[in-house]
Amino acid sequence: MFDQFATAEPDEAMKLAIRRVEETTAAGKGSYLEGLELNEVIVNMGPQHPSTHGVLRLVVTLDGELVRDVIPVIGYLHRCKEKLAEKRTYFQYIPIVDRTEYVASMNCEWAYVLAVEKLAGIVPTRRAEFIRVITGELMRIASHQVAVGTFVADLSPLGTAMVFYCFNDRERILDLLEEVSGARMMFNYFRFGGVRYDLPDGWVEKCRTLMKDMPKLIDQYESLVNDNAIFLQRTMGKGVITQQDVADYGITGPNARASGIDLDLRRSRPYSVYPELDFKVCTGEHGDVLDRYQVRIDEMRESVKIVEQCLDMLPRGPVQIGSLRPPYVIQPPPGSCYVGQENPRGEYGVYVVSDGSRYPYRLKYRDPCFCNLQIFGKLLPGNKIADAVAISGSIDLVLGGIDR
Amino acid sequence: MVPDRLKVQYPKLSDFSQPNVITTTADLVFAWARSRSVFPFTYGLACCAIEMLSSGFARFDVARYGMEVFRPTPRQCDLMIVAGTLNEKMAPILKRLYDQMSEPKWVVSMGACATSGGPFYDGYNVVNGVDKVVPVDVYIPGCPPRPEALFQGLLELQKVIRQYKFVPELPELAKPAERS
Amino acid sequence: MAREVGRVEITMEALFARLAADFGDGLGDLRVQEPDTLVAAVERGALHALAERLKAHELGYETLNFIAAVDHVRHLEAVYHLYSWHTNTWLELHVEVPRGKAEIDTVTDVWPAADWHEREAWDMMGIRFKGHPDLRRILLKDDFIGHPLRKDYVDRAENHPHV
Repeated sequence: MFDQFATAEPDEAMKLAIRRVEETTAAGKGSYLEGLELNEVIVNMGPQHPSTHGVLRLVVTLDGELVRDVIPVIGYLHRCKEKLAEKRTYFQYIPIVDRTEYVASMNCEWAYVLAVEKLAGIVPTRRAEFIRVITGELMRIASHQVAVGTFVADLSPLGTAMVFYCFNDRERILDLLEEVSGARMMFNYFRFGGVRYDLPDGWVEKCRTLMKDMPKLIDQYESLVNDNAIFLQRTMGKGVITQQDVADYGITGPNARASGIDLDLRRSRPYSVYPELDFKVCTGEHGDVLDRYQVRIDEMRESVKIVEQCLDMLPRGPVQIGSLRPPYVIQPPPGSCYVGQENPRGEYGVYVVSDGSRYPYRLKYRDPCFCNLQIFGKLLPGNKIADAVAISGSIDLVLGGIDR
Repeated sequence: MVPDRLKVQYPKLSDFSQPNVITTTADLVFAWARSRSVFPFTYGLACCAIEMLSSGFARFDVARYGMEVFRPTPRQCDLMIVAGTLNEKMAPILKRLYDQMSEPKWVVSMGACATSGGPFYDGYNVVNGVDKVVPVDVYIPGCPPRPEALFQGLLELQKVIRQYKFVPELPELAKPAERS
Repeated sequence: MAREVGRVEITMEALFARLAADFGDGLGDLRVQEPDTLVAAVERGALHALAERLKAHELGYETLNFIAAVDHVRHLEAVYHLYSWHTNTWLELHVEVPRGKAEIDTVTDVWPAADWHEREAWDMMGIRFKGHPDLRRILLKDDFIGHPLRKDYVDRAENHPHV
């Protein structure tokens, strides 16, 4: 029964890895250990792996423990979202946009809704804008908790308490979002011109209580790992993304900010009510794994400040334009439009091409993790396998967005 | 090398031709042990995987059902929870991993995508349901199913596990007078 | 030492005038859209040279955001979305590609980010990029037949065995 696995044909990615090994051997490059012959092993960190955060396959060429070459293979979660856009109306498509970056679904809906609103010329109500910022920033905190928690869980498999603390506090945020929208993860909450439901009674007080507790909880996360000598040794100086890499590969989000680049779409191309809010753009210095982790922790604190400001500034009013007949069927004029917004992982945007009918003509996602993943071929080689796992955890990938 | 005459011959439960007090007691003991110590296989593909993770952590604790040992290798698992959409590129890998699990094994399909394709049912690349590739014991609907829904599915699975018998009752072997 | 964006303060009209003056021959039909995007149409053959000049320019467009492939029924189109650090503006280049011979020169030597975007455009729409180091399918399985995002794509039994 098990012989069938041994005789499986290598597929395109494995053939490419084998070709590269043969080229290296032919070119006479030896092993990194003096006096030994080259003996490279090609290993599949396959689509099912505890540390790859989803169905990402890395075809890794190893020389002992050292990674020589990495070929990422994606597409194991390709769900044909861009083709489905042509069969669903603009309104029917909102739940599907949710499922792209499923850890930060509010922000994904926001990008799609922004693009279609710009194309159709719909202006949302002011109260809805503030509610969008509040829920978007709460989702950013929850997403960073998942990112940081699973990153630390990768370093030592579920051995630290950090991931338990992060996920437990994330549940409190998801409780708030569930009261507002009705779902824990796939909210289907944003609409063209506003949001679906108004905030229930008592929600603002609960949110304020949680935002008062949040800085203490974030301090707790830092106190768990920041002074740990092994954590620092495994993360300092590893996986450095230079500023030239950021420009070349189009890396955005905390990965770019950790390299010292002041690029935050909430500041540089502001949307919604961000121009009226006061927050700091968190940057790092060296661009290594530790900086990326630290930037995410700092961003959680900034998001708490933003939510508190918005709760104070929340105006009264309707949450959707045309309160009796919301725009369920919209037919934007022919044209194309791209809006990028600041997802917890980077610049997430939707490029909408419309031909005047009820269905989108073409919908293209600009996904941050797809662009961030390209740097793996350059970043991982030269590190040990354990460092490779730490680096890939710090880049924070969500396969739903990469594969769409 | 132990010669055959010195090897101890243990009686096997399946040597019995009909269920009796020994086999039914063994059934009870094994069912009790197996159903309360299932090792799930982390086969989280998509969004449902995050709900599966949430159900393993502090608030919704899957350890109270004995299933907190999520092993990443199929060789050490009894239960494969397929959480997420299956597509044509992933289907051969699912089949391969299912084959690599050793008997007895069960499959739970979690979420609408694994049950029937979900919101992506008309995609050109999406397999409409995991049961086109592997046999499924329990289906859990939802998109994504709440952790409580996952637990209800796992409790149903415990009922399925408890139905395993060493010597099932076969009507052909009953005495002629009892045959109707 | 943080690197900032938008170091050069320039209005959209001034930028429009500057680009029209420097690249007038390459950027056809240049116009301003939305608050900070310029849109232009580019000839297929002139794309690579124009890309090098755009990147090396003083107000250079150093980053490629994405490449979108669109199927207008009579022709295909590749949309390149570029970002300039100095002026904090976007530039959208529309390149028309005939359906029968869908080929463009690659820009991976100008912007390394184009690698996977071009592979995706090949995979989904069937636009071949000449000179690409490794043009193979990225999202679909290797033996998939056809290019799904084309408007005339029909679901095939070979592509979809487990229906």
